[in-house]
Amino acid sequence: MIAYKFLRPDGTSPFTGFRWQLPNGGPGRWVDAPVEPCRSGIHACRVSDLPFWIGRTLWEVELDGEIVEHRSKLAASRGRLLRQIEAWADDLRDEYTRMCANRAHELVNSISPPLTAWDAVVEPSIPEGPALLGFVAARIAEEISGPEAYHEERARQTAWLTERLELD
Amino acid sequence: MTELHSHDHITCQEVVELVTDYFEGALPADQADLFEQHINFCEGCDWYVDQMRTTVAAVGRVEEEDVPDEMRERLLTAFRDWKRK
Repeated sequence: MIAYKFLRPDGTSPFTGFRWQLPNGGPGRWVDAPVEPCRSGIHACRVSDLPFWIGRTLWEVELDGEIVEHRSKLAASRGRLLRQIEAWADDLRDEYTRMCANRAHELVNSISPPLTAWDAVVEPSIPEGPALLGFVAARIAEEISGPEAYHEERARQTAWLTERLELD
Repeated sequence: MTELHSHDHITCQEVVELVTDYFEGALPADQADLFEQHINFCEGCDWYVDQMRTTVAAVGRVEEEDVPDEMRERLLTAFRDWKRK
């Protein structure tokens, strides 16, 4: 099964610090781990999970063995990196951040009176990067229209990423 | 166990309340998922969790005999006074 994984620029996992062998003229080596979501196993994203786990570098990963579908991630007993998604670079990360910020402003001003307190946090959040801006836009949507809107906003972000990264 | 306000995300306050359970692997998978989502986007909480991890690792290495006598006495006095209040 093909999935995706965000890593730090040095190829380590943001939560466990595990150092992945990066593809070098071929796939990285297989890594094995018993499956227990959030505790053990090879964790990866479906395309729809990407906005929840935005990170610095994005990799295509092949999963094998036991694969458990969790609410916002996959956990597998085997995995290896296949290739880096090169399109997820500084310029696209910045573009995604700006898109989320613009969307947040749009949502804030879509009701009367506008959610000025929320509007005030948008621009100052930009230096913290795309993961925060994606969350802020989804939270504003939720504030206006309820929990379903949170997920609709996340789906909107998924659609943007899918198109710009040319993912299936 | 901390009662979460939302099933879709957690607050910075909830991160503080859940951090020990997170380190101990005691959070249900859904809560651990939301915890990690939060520290993924929140620089402040990510820093806090890192500091807590470092502190837990450091304190875990301290043996009773590592504490100087004077410090032990001061701590025992402080705890005795705290109990009386």
